Amino acid sequence: MSRGVSPSSVHHDQTAKRMTNSLAPFPRRLAWITAAGIVPWLLALAAWQLPDQTPEWVSVWLLAGIFSATLPLGIAWLRWGRQAGRNSLLAVCAGLYPIWWQLALFWSDVLELYEIRSGLATAGLIGLFVIGLSIVTWYLERKSRRIELAQIDVALRSGPILTPHAASAEIQNTGPRIWNPLDLRAWYYGRGGRKLKQSTAATIGYTALFWILAMLSSQVGGCQKIYEMPAGGGKQQTVAQTVRIQKVIRKKFVINPLSAIKFSVPPIDEVKLQLQEVTAHQYAIGYGEGTGAGFAGGTQRGKVRLIRLEYDGGDWNLNFGIGGDVNMLMEYGLLTQQRVGEKTESLRISQLASFPAEKSPPVVFLTGQGSLSVSNTDVKVLREYLRDKHGMLFVSAGSAHFHNQFLALMTRVLPDVRPVSIPLDDSIHRVPFALPAVPYVVPHGGKEALGWSADGRWLVYYHPGDISDAWADGHAGIPQEIYTACYQLGANVINYGHFEYAKWLQSKGASK
Amino acid sequence: MNSAHVCSGFHRTVRLRMMTALLVGCLVSVVTAARGSELDELPLDSWKLLREVERYQLQIAEKYWVEQNWKTAAAEYEKFLELYEKSTGAAYAQLKWSLAQVKLRKQNTAIKDGFQTVVDYWPDSPQAVAAAYYIGRTQKEIGNTKKAKTALKEVVTKYPKHLATVYALNDLVDLATIEMDVPARIEALKKLTFDCQRVPDSVGVCQQASQQLAAHAFREGAFDDGVKALATTYQPAQLPLAVFDHVKTPLSELTGDAKTKDKGSRLADQAIAWMKQAAPADLTTPEAKTLARQTLLLAADLTAVARRDDQVASAYEAVVVANKTDDDALGRLAAWYKGKMNYDKARETYRRYANPFEGLGQVAYSFREQQKWPQAVEVYLQLLGQDAEHKVRWKQELALAHRGAQKWPEAIALYEELVRDDLANAGRWRWEVGCTHRDAGQYKEAIGHYRQCENFPENYNQMAWCHRQLKQPAEAIILYKQVAADSKPYAAWALLQVAYTREESGEQEPAIQAFQFVCKKYPKDPNAATAHAHLQQKYKISVTLGGATDD
Repeated sequence: MSRGVSPSSVHHDQTAKRMTNSLAPFPRRLAWITAAGIVPWLLALAAWQLPDQTPEWVSVWLLAGIFSATLPLGIAWLRWGRQAGRNSLLAVCAGLYPIWWQLALFWSDVLELYEIRSGLATAGLIGLFVIGLSIVTWYLERKSRRIELAQIDVALRSGPILTPHAASAEIQNTGPRIWNPLDLRAWYYGRGGRKLKQSTAATIGYTALFWILAMLSSQVGGCQKIYEMPAGGGKQQTVAQTVRIQKVIRKKFVINPLSAIKFSVPPIDEVKLQLQEVTAHQYAIGYGEGTGAGFAGGTQRGKVRLIRLEYDGGDWNLNFGIGGDVNMLMEYGLLTQQRVGEKTESLRISQLASFPAEKSPPVVFLTGQGSLSVSNTDVKVLREYLRDKHGMLFVSAGSAHFHNQFLALMTRVLPDVRPVSIPLDDSIHRVPFALPAVPYVVPHGGKEALGWSADGRWLVYYHPGDISDAWADGHAGIPQEIYTACYQLGANVINYGHFEYAKWLQSKGASK
Repeated sequence: MNSAHVCSGFHRTVRLRMMTALLVGCLVSVVTAARGSELDELPLDSWKLLREVERYQLQIAEKYWVEQNWKTAAAEYEKFLELYEKSTGAAYAQLKWSLAQVKLRKQNTAIKDGFQTVVDYWPDSPQAVAAAYYIGRTQKEIGNTKKAKTALKEVVTKYPKHLATVYALNDLVDLATIEMDVPARIEALKKLTFDCQRVPDSVGVCQQASQQLAAHAFREGAFDDGVKALATTYQPAQLPLAVFDHVKTPLSELTGDAKTKDKGSRLADQAIAWMKQAAPADLTTPEAKTLARQTLLLAADLTAVARRDDQVASAYEAVVVANKTDDDALGRLAAWYKGKMNYDKARETYRRYANPFEGLGQVAYSFREQQKWPQAVEVYLQLLGQDAEHKVRWKQELALAHRGAQKWPEAIALYEELVRDDLANAGRWRWEVGCTHRDAGQYKEAIGHYRQCENFPENYNQMAWCHRQLKQPAEAIILYKQVAADSKPYAAWALLQVAYTREESGEQEPAIQAFQFVCKKYPKDPNAATAHAHLQQKYKISVTLGGATDD
């Protein structure tokens, strides 16, 4: 077969032709529309991921419009894919997957379906991994097959007539050292089981790359995460209910003791006092010299946000969102007159690492009823957040089981700090609202609030009895004075966290 | 909820409560006894100096203090201060007012307005030293470790011979332990062990320090230092046992870890050699003989603890030989065999007991441990035939073996015999009859026997549980309600069981109401927390009622 066409090259050409045919009727118009939509989609994605750095005119509905536009566009691509052939359809599906996954996440976030969102995030990531792995396997197989066929072609042309298998074997045993990992003859695959070794290496490599990219993306995205307190100032004092006493001045009569008219002189004890309660705040609640209730080191667009920590194993989202802790956030705004976020938020513990030291959340909330599973990496992140970033953890026990789990967690996070019962006359129980006792719904973890303290401040405030139930709609059916006290306690803890953070920022600024 | 689980949960809760109460009681009494004697009491001489009116006012305050009515006590001490500011008892009243604030969990007020005032206004009074110490201790209690350390160290420096220094050093040990500051901990422990004067109020703290120091020294492999520390606390005759008690845990830990095995081995050599040389040479007195036997036995025990398996048997045998026979040594050797899962050898050893009945009893018990019920029964029957003097004991053990083998009629028959034979404990055996019927699933019979018992409310709880097994919720609820009405400590628990019983019988709405009732009526009780969590988890009901404050 001097100039003849080898069977492998025929096969190769046929494959190439089939590929070309399948992609032939490419929809140029649809491609242009898609290309034009990529930029606004990416901008919308950035705006959604980084709400702090997004102008206020970018509403959630604008984002919803941009994201939802991917739906008809995707359907159009799918219709084309069905006509173009199996490979094209698969390619379209793979391309659409991350976009529609993000769309589902966005809508579950907007509709506050947090459980679904959490499930979608995890399942979606797994799906992305599987799709990527499939593509890698397909590409690897295709490439290595091509190389193999090409080498067989060369061997058949230059040497005696051999069977393709024998040719392949001969090629593998001769020639210089091959480094290309797509080539099965690469020296590091050894002599036996080369295909298996290649597949294993590819899977491990892909998995490692995927993991690194996932970590990097969370870090890169996270680096831009910031928390800004509301600008302003105020005093750390107990809100005083001042009582102004006004004397009611009666008319004075000049009495002539010799008068024929008899007067009844009222005794001195009957002088009436009119009491008028003045309940308005006499000063702004916050810390610093600025005007309006807020904190030194805050910004004009800054708000007090209630951020909850997500964790594995249990129900991190107990009383989360509307009808739950949003009530507390709103009440905090009313009680302190500080600017607050529109809704409560949640973060994975690992995401705390993404905040810069001076723009971290001053306080994060944690609650639940079930198990509390936290990895060693997350424990480290939490410790760094509490110690180095001057953060604070506000925890409410939702069950006796959670209580035990949390105490065990704290021995890992702060092994050199022992929890103590927080005094009733501590500023956290006195400012801005003086609480004569710690209110609770039921005593899951005792009756006294526990605290972990270091360097003269509370790193952790642990409420023993389901405070988030008292904040939720219906207030767990507890008496009004108890749930009012629960709101005040919540306000005290959130305010304390922000006050300590502002103080820290100020001291850092002064030392610089 | 499973009823068996409920029942066992009740037992566990009761046991836990009892143990916790006992432990807390012991701790509180020890701490109060140790720290409440000199520092926060007015010396008799000072009482003499008070005028009658002052004494009267102070006695009123003391009365409320003893009653633990802290709020009123604080008010009365404050009244004393207002009325008799110039009195010699003013510093004391101020100190006690501050301590009352601590009890009311207003520690910051206690420090700022109380203890510090004593130090500032009455610096030369004996209460000033106490106040200076209490500042440190209270700072420690509220987690201000830095301030606590500063205050406590100041006490140690300023008043080295005062009792307050002993307590301050003890708190410094505690702080160093929390912060894992080993050098600081050891320094404080050494001061407490060797330097502090041991008076009745400080002896407990100093002894405890010497024990901690010894344990640390043993763990570090410094055997002689450990013995030196213990020698400050124990008499020479008590020292071998004290050394054994404090060396066994570090020795076991060190020899159990491959990394520290050599260190452990060296410690074992030193400890065994010391134990042997601690035996008196002159064995003429009975005390000396006892001590010699004890040291030999302890040396054998140390051999076992140090995992020198090849030497253990010979070490115990040496004790047996030295004393001709020694059931104690044989028992320890047999226990060691059991630890190695060599039960046959253990039984062989038990059979060598000088007291053959005791030995056989141990043999039978070892069969029970292995769940070899027929063999155990056989040995107990043999014992019943031979040892008529301890018939009650062997019958009880035999009944337990039958229960283990699930031979309920035999066990019940034995307990019935015990009811007749051992009239002094008839109630106890009746209870066991009830429990055996319950374990056998004969709930009706069990109820009948429990009804005859007098250990309310436990018998009512068991009867109610049996009714629940018989699907008779109405009867169970009646019994639980009787418990709730007549036994205050178990009221919340009993009402929670009412709710569970209603739930088991399919009455969902009344069950929910019953759970809510527990929360509403006993919002401060841990059972309310269980009811609350159950309502949320099972019924997704957030309105659980409850709500209270910790005052």
